[in-house]
Amino acid sequence: MTERGEVALQRAQPKVAGLTQPRPAHLWQLELRGTVARRRALVIKLAFPLVLVIPLVTTGAPPFFAGMLLTVLIAMVGTVGTGVTITRARGAGWLDRLAVLPLPAWRVGLELFFAGWLVDAVQATLVLLVIAIAERPDPATLGTTWLLALAALAFSGAIGLGIAALTDHPGEAMLYLVVVLAPLLFLSGLFTGVPAEGVRYWVAQILPFSYLDEGFQLLLGGNPPYGSPLSFLIAAFIFLGVALTATAALGRAILARTA
Amino acid sequence: MARSSSSLSDLPLTEPWLLATGLSRRYRNGRGVGPVSLAVGPGEVQALVGPNGSGKTTLLRCLATRTQPSSGDLTWFGAPDRKLARAKLAVVFDATAHVDELSARQNLAFFGTARQVASELWEPALEAAAVAELGGDPLARLSYGMRRRVLLAEALVGDPPLLLLDEPTLGLDVSGCQWLAETLRARAQLGLATCISTNDTDFVEQVATRVCFLVDGEAIRDAPLSDLLAELGGTREIQLSYRGPSPLASVIAVPGVEQAAEADGGLLILARQRDGLIPEILATLGDLDLHLVDLKVRDPGLADCFLRLTGRALHD
Repeated sequence: MTERGEVALQRAQPKVAGLTQPRPAHLWQLELRGTVARRRALVIKLAFPLVLVIPLVTTGAPPFFAGMLLTVLIAMVGTVGTGVTITRARGAGWLDRLAVLPLPAWRVGLELFFAGWLVDAVQATLVLLVIAIAERPDPATLGTTWLLALAALAFSGAIGLGIAALTDHPGEAMLYLVVVLAPLLFLSGLFTGVPAEGVRYWVAQILPFSYLDEGFQLLLGGNPPYGSPLSFLIAAFIFLGVALTATAALGRAILARTA
Repeated sequence: MARSSSSLSDLPLTEPWLLATGLSRRYRNGRGVGPVSLAVGPGEVQALVGPNGSGKTTLLRCLATRTQPSSGDLTWFGAPDRKLARAKLAVVFDATAHVDELSARQNLAFFGTARQVASELWEPALEAAAVAELGGDPLARLSYGMRRRVLLAEALVGDPPLLLLDEPTLGLDVSGCQWLAETLRARAQLGLATCISTNDTDFVEQVATRVCFLVDGEAIRDAPLSDLLAELGGTREIQLSYRGPSPLASVIAVPGVEQAAEADGGLLILARQRDGLIPEILATLGDLDLHLVDLKVRDPGLADCFLRLTGRALHD
């Protein structure tokens, strides 16, 4: 058949839209594509941390306050994003549909979490990019703080999943999230600093927000009392592992709860 | 109908694919369903029929592995393993939950992959549901009815051995209902099993092989459709529309009237066929000084069967 003939044949075929669309094979791909397709919401989601971080770094805000604000931002992004999304999904009947598929609950939990975490990670990366451009910090501190931010997002996301396993209403989830998150942020020393010894010192060691807060302070020219890039790196991987394990374990609880 | 790569040969053909024995699911307020016993075998279409609040959806959610029963036994394909069951069943709940920003093709690709249905069967499933032409548009732009069709296509793709549908005709137009009825009948001919929960008795009469009537969480009758309809032989359904006070008490006293109930703003009557029945009912209405708006007489159906069993209309 000539080339012209092939073109004629193509023209004769009925035009069906969407045949070449990428086909998501996994839940996280489906969820992520859905998020990307909500363009306006995505732009706002990616832009709003910049509204906070740009004034902080350009006006030379005190590192203690700037670090605290940015850590609260990361913690809120992770918990609210996951907690509210999951409760909304349950209310819409989406979790009902996922629960009867031949997919293990831990995988559903992890994939739901992962899709949200990827977008959150872009938000955190943009924040650190602004700091990197404005402050030109030590690359090792920048890299480990970035990893800590991703780990803190995962940890927060796991908290969000845990809350979503307890409630069906996004508004109620928001309330629980604040109730859970506020003491954790306080114990991480965000508002008062961490004592050099005692129970609060040890509690702060097992919370990712204390490390992240210090990382931000270091990047912004502060001088927090302790911490090194190596300890940040080890902590980041431990918190990431804890978050992923908790997420997988919570998958069953999330699907078991029905609206 | 497109066949999936999965074979029926590894499924038990001599025992029920879905077997509930003394199944009960009760909520804290005492409402719920059960105890109910039913069996759905290969080639059967079991309908769960009852008014709102009768427990149909709760029962279907238990059968679909979604809700844990409070008591009783439940097996799928001879085993009580929910995880194994999920590999062989598909479910449509009443909510049309999708990732609405993505297209029908993209949503179906996910569900098809999750259920391990060969990708060459995806497009025929959309075509069969008459949504292929709009299959590339975001679902948020489609009408409710079209999204219901996509939902059904996602469940039907690959011909799952066991299909459970909650209110399957919800949102479908006439052609949609016809397509679904043909599809369910074709599934039955292929030896596949289906369980539907609905109060659309016209649809049930088109597709069901067995019907289980539920009232206030209790299964009051579970029998083959043909038996239920045969029991109505020699009777007629009479629908009255009127203005004025209810003539129920007077009409039920007319000789030959077996049951009567208020329904759809009128009166639904099941009566044994005999000469002079209609004039006597009309005379009764006349005595009450009612204004008759409409009167329909037709062969009785499942709704009349429910009326006979319960003294209540299926549709209030």
